Amino acid sequence: MSLIDLMSMAKPEKESMRKVLAKLGRSEFIDCFQCLKCTSGCTALKLLELKPHEIMKLVRLGFVNELAASEIIWTCATCLKCVQRCPQKGSPYHVIMALRNLAVEREAKVPEAYLKAVSQILENGLSQTIQKITTRKMETFDRTSLKLPKISAPKESFQTVFLKALEEKQE
Amino acid sequence: MKMAVFWGCRILTSQYAYEMSVRQVFPKLGVELVDLREATCCGGPVKSINAFAADYLAARALALANLTGLTDLLVPCNRCHFTISEAKHRMEINERLRLRIGELLKEDGLEYDPNINIWHVIDLLHDAVGLEKIKETVKKPFKGLELASHTGCQIIRYSDLGRVDDAENPRKLDELINVLGAETVDYSEKLDCCGAVLTYSHQDAALSLAGSKIKALQGLNVDALVVCCPACQMMFDSEQKDAETAVGAKLDLPVLYYTQLLGLALDIEAEKLGLHLNQSLVDKLLTKLPA
Repeated sequence: MSLIDLMSMAKPEKESMRKVLAKLGRSEFIDCFQCLKCTSGCTALKLLELKPHEIMKLVRLGFVNELAASEIIWTCATCLKCVQRCPQKGSPYHVIMALRNLAVEREAKVPEAYLKAVSQILENGLSQTIQKITTRKMETFDRTSLKLPKISAPKESFQTVFLKALEEKQE
Repeated sequence: MKMAVFWGCRILTSQYAYEMSVRQVFPKLGVELVDLREATCCGGPVKSINAFAADYLAARALALANLTGLTDLLVPCNRCHFTISEAKHRMEINERLRLRIGELLKEDGLEYDPNINIWHVIDLLHDAVGLEKIKETVKKPFKGLELASHTGCQIIRYSDLGRVDDAENPRKLDELINVLGAETVDYSEKLDCCGAVLTYSHQDAALSLAGSKIKALQGLNVDALVVCCPACQMMFDSEQKDAETAVGAKLDLPVLYYTQLLGLALDIEAEKLGLHLNQSLVDKLLTKLPA
């Protein structure tokens, strides 16, 4: 099902659109004139059918609820070409990130890896777990055997403050 | 020149070769690096979840740099470099955001400093250390090598943030390679993304992106691909075997960090540069180097 099919029964809604606008802190996407520069250079277009210009248009029309619930917003590769190239100084990338944040607030389906990264940061400050590396010659190395310095974990106060930051109302 | 260094997560937890080679090459070029204590994630993956919390983490990195008393911060990861640069920019234009983040940092005993200069390996070497100095320091210049550069996305875009090279025609990494005596090729896939961020949600697509670029480069018969980001290296090097299935082609392109390549030209032992940790067949490249 394409993104447009999803909208055929949908009703635009201004309140959610206002929320996305508030998150952006920049409302330039209003000026999008559908030149398709973003989509023609989009890293995720060919493989995942992400069409940034459609997202810009749909947000502008008020179909924010549908987008926030759609998997399409999780296909952006963050190459930032759309931000760079938009002749109207708009930014599909920032619109997509605002939609992702809205999806999280609404407890929509979010790719597991993102949530894991956050819980990992809460646990020890880093978004990834420390790995052992097996080389081409099948030898195994870790930070200690490579003589790399020990990682110093943050104090407990970090966890409290980071939780606070996560709970902060985003306007 | 003395500066703080923020490694980010990927370098500290798996891309050890980048950390090793950065630690090896910079002192030889007169740059002393000071590790931040109790560093946390830059906020990159958190941007998708909660932009404010991501900005808080980025500001925290700058506040930690502030504790060292140094005014320059090296951020060798492209994604961290972007995340921290963007948060800094946002706090510059949004006073309320800056004040609120400042309050949170205070609770953690930290203070945000807007005057920390953010550097990446590429601009630090190209603009601060300088090509001349590198040329003078090189002990074993390369001969007859043809290499491809991949600068990556997030240190060159978007320009409003002030990035380390041109967004559409990055040349600095090529120039840094050329000064070591190797040739570089221009290729039409040069700006293609490695796909690393997509590993969070679409592993197959991510591998296809990385694999397609390697496949194209193999067609050009280059001796190796040179990168400067732990996420790009993960995709092109660590995941190269897995990318084979995604693109249905045999892939055996040596991939290495610029700091590893530079280290070789400075006559630093391969093992000290972590070259034994690269998963791609870098031996193919090493045999082509002058004795």
